[in-house]
Amino acid sequence: MSKEAKTIALVGNPNVGKTTLFNALTGSTHQVGNFAGVTVSIKIGEMFTPHGDKLQVLDFPGCYSLKAASKDEQVAVDFLTGKIEGEKQADLVVCMVDASALERHLQLALQLIEMKLPVVIALNMVDMAEKSGLRLDPLKMSEELNVPVVAMQADIGKGVVELKQALRLPYPALADAHWKAGKDADASRRDFILKLCAIAARRPDQHQLTLADKLDHKLFLHPFFGWLSFLGIMFTVFWAIFSLSGIPMGWIEAAFEALGDCAAGIMPKGDFQSLLVDGVIGGIGGVVIFLPQIVLLFFFIGLLESSGYMSRAAYLMDGFMSKAGLSGKAFLPLFSSYACAIPGVMATRTIGSAKERLVTIFVAPWMSCSARLPVYFLIVPLLLHEEEGSWKQALVLFSIYAVGTLSAFIVAKLLRNKLGPETDPQPFVLELPAYRKPQWPYILRHVAKRGFAFIRKAGGIILGLSILLWALSTYPKTDDEGVDPISYSAMGRMGKVIEPVVKPLGFDGRIGTAVLTSFAAREVFNSSLSIILRVEQGDDDVETRDRMRERIHAATWPDGRPLFTPLTLISILVFFIYALQCLPTSAVVLREAGSWKWAVGQFAFMSSFAYMASLLVYQIGSLLGF
Amino acid sequence: MMHHDFERDLGADSAMTLNQAGVGCDVQIRVLSGPGCERLRDLGFCEQMQVRKLAHGRNLICSICGTKMAISRDLAEQVFVEPVSV
Repeated sequence: MSKEAKTIALVGNPNVGKTTLFNALTGSTHQVGNFAGVTVSIKIGEMFTPHGDKLQVLDFPGCYSLKAASKDEQVAVDFLTGKIEGEKQADLVVCMVDASALERHLQLALQLIEMKLPVVIALNMVDMAEKSGLRLDPLKMSEELNVPVVAMQADIGKGVVELKQALRLPYPALADAHWKAGKDADASRRDFILKLCAIAARRPDQHQLTLADKLDHKLFLHPFFGWLSFLGIMFTVFWAIFSLSGIPMGWIEAAFEALGDCAAGIMPKGDFQSLLVDGVIGGIGGVVIFLPQIVLLFFFIGLLESSGYMSRAAYLMDGFMSKAGLSGKAFLPLFSSYACAIPGVMATRTIGSAKERLVTIFVAPWMSCSARLPVYFLIVPLLLHEEEGSWKQALVLFSIYAVGTLSAFIVAKLLRNKLGPETDPQPFVLELPAYRKPQWPYILRHVAKRGFAFIRKAGGIILGLSILLWALSTYPKTDDEGVDPISYSAMGRMGKVIEPVVKPLGFDGRIGTAVLTSFAAREVFNSSLSIILRVEQGDDDVETRDRMRERIHAATWPDGRPLFTPLTLISILVFFIYALQCLPTSAVVLREAGSWKWAVGQFAFMSSFAYMASLLVYQIGSLLGF
Repeated sequence: MMHHDFERDLGADSAMTLNQAGVGCDVQIRVLSGPGCERLRDLGFCEQMQVRKLAHGRNLICSICGTKMAISRDLAEQVFVEPVSV
């Protein structure tokens, strides 16, 4: 027996629970959703059998059959048929099937057995199947198919030990595809499945109306109430993010203040103290404070996905999306882009049509991502002259998202028409999974992962930029009392150079500089502005915020006009809605679209569009007398 | 040959496409015909299977062997069904 670890491939239809099982077997924490297509590339993990043998486990994207129709299905098919060069075929295939939909899921299992691969069938979600009245007989099924069948409930870990037992050596003998008769392979498979289900999975009443059916019929998919609940859910999510995040934000702010005070107290006054207090602590604090909002956004997206509502939303949106030349399949990628365009762009792999996929990738960054939130949260309260957390702010925020989304749809429509008709049309097919209780551990782990990623970013790129910004705004120094140290500094001079370019947008050199720095990462805008405006930390968070506001209100043009007029604030918002200020997104687009043209074109188009849109808003607004 | 049977079915009163079936009706798939056949079979829409049509619109929602699927009207047009014989 070779020492090399055996390879186990996990395959099955989309949304059957492969990733949940993969996590249970290997102890890793990959994201799990209740939406077909959460896994878009192969995941590799390791596990040990009860005898201590090491196994390599591969988790494949879901596929309905071995006749791949979309890119993510192709991956599984290529591997299983041994088409990927340099990769050996799997030693054992675990085919996961949904116990409540065996008629559909067994198709794939039979195809695998016909391919002469050693197969173990994992019969998942037996609880849901039995609750719906199905009477399952795994033993009978195993006898008929001649392969091991393990009943399980992967989400609560039931049956995992039994499955591990089935993965011991020696592997089950190759089963004989005895159902193969006559010329039509599909037909003989179908007949056999029907017979098998009649014996081993009997349904007392084919079509009992379940609670999910009633919910769908009366509420979530209703032509009128469906839309009402969709808008209600989306609005609640945004409102909750706005209002719930206030409390932890206060704590973070207080913590950074205490840290700043402490540092200022210990160290003697001077450049180093200024670097640490204004540059490092102030810069990072200004960004980390938005952690609660980002965590909440990812939490709600995880909740909607895990409960099964997300695919209802995709179904509802299909008609709407078709007006933009897209289908309901583009909904999940675009919705994920509200959190971050990177997973959004990657999720487009589930879209079968190549042209639709390119269009979706192109417009995804216009779904306002969470990196823009810090900027919105800074600007929106200034616009309304009100405390945080009011419903008016939620409404403004909702409109910001709506503007970005609508523009994305219009551009998608134009681009889709330009690309011409589909060469290989893929009809719309979407599975509507049963409503499930959210899988809290996975949601929480996913949220924690995203939260840490945000903090890492704050500790890396944003820390570096904060120090750079501090240096640029501090040096060279002047001893002349009559000269403003900021405008004398390198940053002030830089601002003067770019001022003519950004002045038509209503920005002065200072805002222009802050916007320029935000091309590295959008959140940097806040730190830049607070460094440029020299906002000092107050005794408590209310005072600090008031000081930031005072500084912003007090900022003027050289001739004394206020700088941050409502029109300028709106112009800033518009710029941030449209500009593509995120290098990692461009890198992912380059990889997924497979061409420089798309990545560079997208960046150039979005940035110039942002400039033009801000220009129009400011100039037309000025003409109208705002 | 198969095509011939299929045309005869269409002539019979009971045969219709899934689009034509009423919402809430239980129907049995008689025959599939069109470019989307293979995809439909993979999804479980096979001959002899029972389907309940749950909603009608731009896309149809059907319950097929315990799972709810939304499929486009184009695809549903390729599914010929007849009422379930009791």
